[in-house]
Amino acid sequence: MSKPRTYTYFPGCMIPYRLPHFELTAREVLKKFNVELETHSEHSCCPEPTTFTGVDFEAWVTIAARNVAVSESTGNETVALCSGCFHTLAVANHMVQEDEELKKRINKRLKKSGLEITGKHTIKNILHVLHKDIGLDVIKKQVTNPLTSLKIAPHYGCHLVRPLEATHMDHAENPQWMDDVIRTTGAEIAEIEDKMACCGAPIMPSGEDKALTITASRLDQIKASGADAIVVVCPTCYTQLETQQAKVADKFETEYNIPVLYLGELLAFSMGMTDIVTANQRRFHRVKLGALLEKIGGTP
Amino acid sequence: MVKQETMLDLEFRSWLLEQPEGETLLRCYQCGRCTSACPVAEIEPSFNPRLFLQKILIGDKSIAENQLVWNCLTCEQCEVRCPEHVKIPHILILAKVRGLMAGNVPLAALDRARTIISEGRSLSVSSPMLKTRTKMGLPDLGTPSMDQIVAMLADIGIVGKLENVKSVYGDAEDE
Amino acid sequence: MTKTAVVIGAGLAGIQVAQQLTDLGIVVHLIEKESIIGGLSTHLGRVFPTGDCALCLDASTEIFDGQHRRCQYRGLVTEKKNLKLHTLTEIKSISEVDGNFKISIKSQPRHVDLDRCVVCLECIEVCDVNTPDEYGIRGGTRKAIFRPIPQGVPLAPLIDMEHCTKCGKCVDICKVNAIDLEEKESTKTIKADALILATGVEEKVPLDFPGYEYRTSEDIITHAELARLLDPAGSTNGEVTTSSGNTVSEVTMVLCVGSRDLDAAEYCSQACCTYSLKHADMLRDLGIDVTICYMDLRVPKSSEHYLTLAREKGVKFLRGKPDSVIIRNGKPMTIVEDTQSQKRMQIESDLVVLASPLSPLADQNDALAEFIGEYGFISRVAKEGRVYACGTATGPTDIPTSIAEANAIALQVYTDLEGGV
Repeated sequence: MSKPRTYTYFPGCMIPYRLPHFELTAREVLKKFNVELETHSEHSCCPEPTTFTGVDFEAWVTIAARNVAVSESTGNETVALCSGCFHTLAVANHMVQEDEELKKRINKRLKKSGLEITGKHTIKNILHVLHKDIGLDVIKKQVTNPLTSLKIAPHYGCHLVRPLEATHMDHAENPQWMDDVIRTTGAEIAEIEDKMACCGAPIMPSGEDKALTITASRLDQIKASGADAIVVVCPTCYTQLETQQAKVADKFETEYNIPVLYLGELLAFSMGMTDIVTANQRRFHRVKLGALLEKIGGTP
Repeated sequence: MVKQETMLDLEFRSWLLEQPEGETLLRCYQCGRCTSACPVAEIEPSFNPRLFLQKILIGDKSIAENQLVWNCLTCEQCEVRCPEHVKIPHILILAKVRGLMAGNVPLAALDRARTIISEGRSLSVSSPMLKTRTKMGLPDLGTPSMDQIVAMLADIGIVGKLENVKSVYGDAEDE
Repeated sequence: MTKTAVVIGAGLAGIQVAQQLTDLGIVVHLIEKESIIGGLSTHLGRVFPTGDCALCLDASTEIFDGQHRRCQYRGLVTEKKNLKLHTLTEIKSISEVDGNFKISIKSQPRHVDLDRCVVCLECIEVCDVNTPDEYGIRGGTRKAIFRPIPQGVPLAPLIDMEHCTKCGKCVDICKVNAIDLEEKESTKTIKADALILATGVEEKVPLDFPGYEYRTSEDIITHAELARLLDPAGSTNGEVTTSSGNTVSEVTMVLCVGSRDLDAAEYCSQACCTYSLKHADMLRDLGIDVTICYMDLRVPKSSEHYLTLAREKGVKFLRGKPDSVIIRNGKPMTIVEDTQSQKRMQIESDLVVLASPLSPLADQNDALAEFIGEYGFISRVAKEGRVYACGTATGPTDIPTSIAEANAIALQVYTDLEGGV
């Protein structure tokens, strides 16, 4: 086997310490393509883009730039599995690229730790790696258990995609990359109204009622599409659509029972690695996966 | 006649325009597409991004202390639809920053910021979780050098700010 | 020696500049890619500033005196000896040799001889083919041998070979042997001393304007389409109907759909405010309620009466740019902030009419590439003493301004070619 392709993995906080099944399935799926994720102990919180920005933007962009600079020192491209982390690193990197004054100011601060941000480093998310670097044809070859019985609702989430000038994704309103990756597993894509609608999570700290109203509307849209499951990339969207799903259903006196999967979990199913999902399902999935597993011929 | 408070207001506007991407505010021609695109405005009539931009444009700094700005999802739907590519969520972020010392910051946001500055993570890492990671065969991630990070932020003064801020948000708003 | 000018585009500006120059003794070749002259105006029905039929605004010195007009339909474009009209013709290349232009053109066959045809139109009656009418809306059809509009100049029909079955019925019935089903395209080279670009604009079809479901709904239309609905000679006989054939009682209009927008046309299309008001007035006369969503109203002084009239007739004005126009329960719904009351509105109506940008046609022809400037428009003097532009080719504007500019350019060309003080 040839030398593995190595990325510097930016872990952040939510995925490694709340939802490690994201990391596990991503690593296992990427191994199939000879891709390795290397960590660096100097990576801190990205910091997250929904509240820390509004506390102190200058500190946010500086810490984010430091994380990019740490990545740069490894010589490998960076992949962030979490959409919030990806957004933070990509936006900070882009801002530094565009604003010489900012770059100077930040590099002056980084110098104390012997770090430097050039603005030229590449920050990727899992879709860049799967869709662009690995390629759909190569992924398809690893699909041993086609999920043709499933209809999947891809929920992209805002921070994975926007703003385009920093994320370098395919489209701000009608992205296709996750749809394409899901199709390689044999699953059908459910047509959801308002493809890029927000999950509501960012305003949980400031207005939970409004946040949950938005979450309910998102779940309603997905339910109407007849999807068997929602697939996400972002751990925050996951928390909102999965962990909070029962709470939303109670609040609005309705029922959803829509399983939510991380994209890596869906790919694991399709590549015959159902075990790594089922081993952790009780702990990380509040919405039961039983019916879904039965449908794809796994053990419920 | 120029009054004292008007000058103070213009200082807020000038500060904002000097921030990275802050000058995109000047492209706003108040068409209101942001407000009709906004998912929060749809459920909360007092949340009006166009009006917030108008206030900042005319030098009204009250927006920084208005709790409504924290209702922005940062989903960027407004920005995607804005015919002038105004960085609306970013401008609201800058308004939040200016409201910090007046306490316009949700408790959960403040707690999270304090955790980040002291531990380098947005959440506390528990030992059971570290065990879970080991059990799952996931590598140890190590810990970043917090002293270096804090030293790097010295000129921004965030540590002092976080020590002194008192959130005006009640506990009920806390997650 | 007699000088020759080539005018590209026989819209209102092209017709005007061509007539003025022939009147001044210059030989003019007027090149038009469509089968009839008039350009955008042939789609518009009534036009400002007077609300007359667009086709009346042919070149005429009396054009704005309110007394007498010559009609394009009964005009002189096909009658003047030193004005040669080439329809169905495109520019293939332009080269400059010793201070003269060599312009090669290619004409598609009309299959009807303009010199022989007496416009009895019996050929159209015997044709068995029915195909969608480009000028129609709500399902209007035409024959394979047809006239795009009854008043189109030249008056003779043409044959659309894409749909013609070559059954020969039209050939048999024609008493003057004007029809030749085998006519081939022809090419020609014209030597000219000056070149005038009057290539005009088209209404951009807002197929993919984000948030607006124009592509999927026949009840979300453009102003050019509304003009076809309002035209008494059009396929609906002037009746404004929904796609399902119902009577329309409420119309919402949206201005600047893709104008003054960094993702679409950055410029202001200048004429849309006024034609929206004109259409609003016409709809009010039919008893239809109209709401106009605008950012600001840019109406030139010569057309301000349309605004006054619209206010008097009870047109509702709402200041705000809608984020979306979607279909809800089978009807178009416009979602917009009324920026004056600061209320987010959801307006249901039977029809939504979008003011889409006027976009330049010159950049669709590679032969003209060297003259194209910002946004695809052309400077009035594109090349000193040689190449000129007028009308909407220089930037979107209304008809009165187009005509005035054509007059000015005619004088400039004449002065440059014939000398003067």
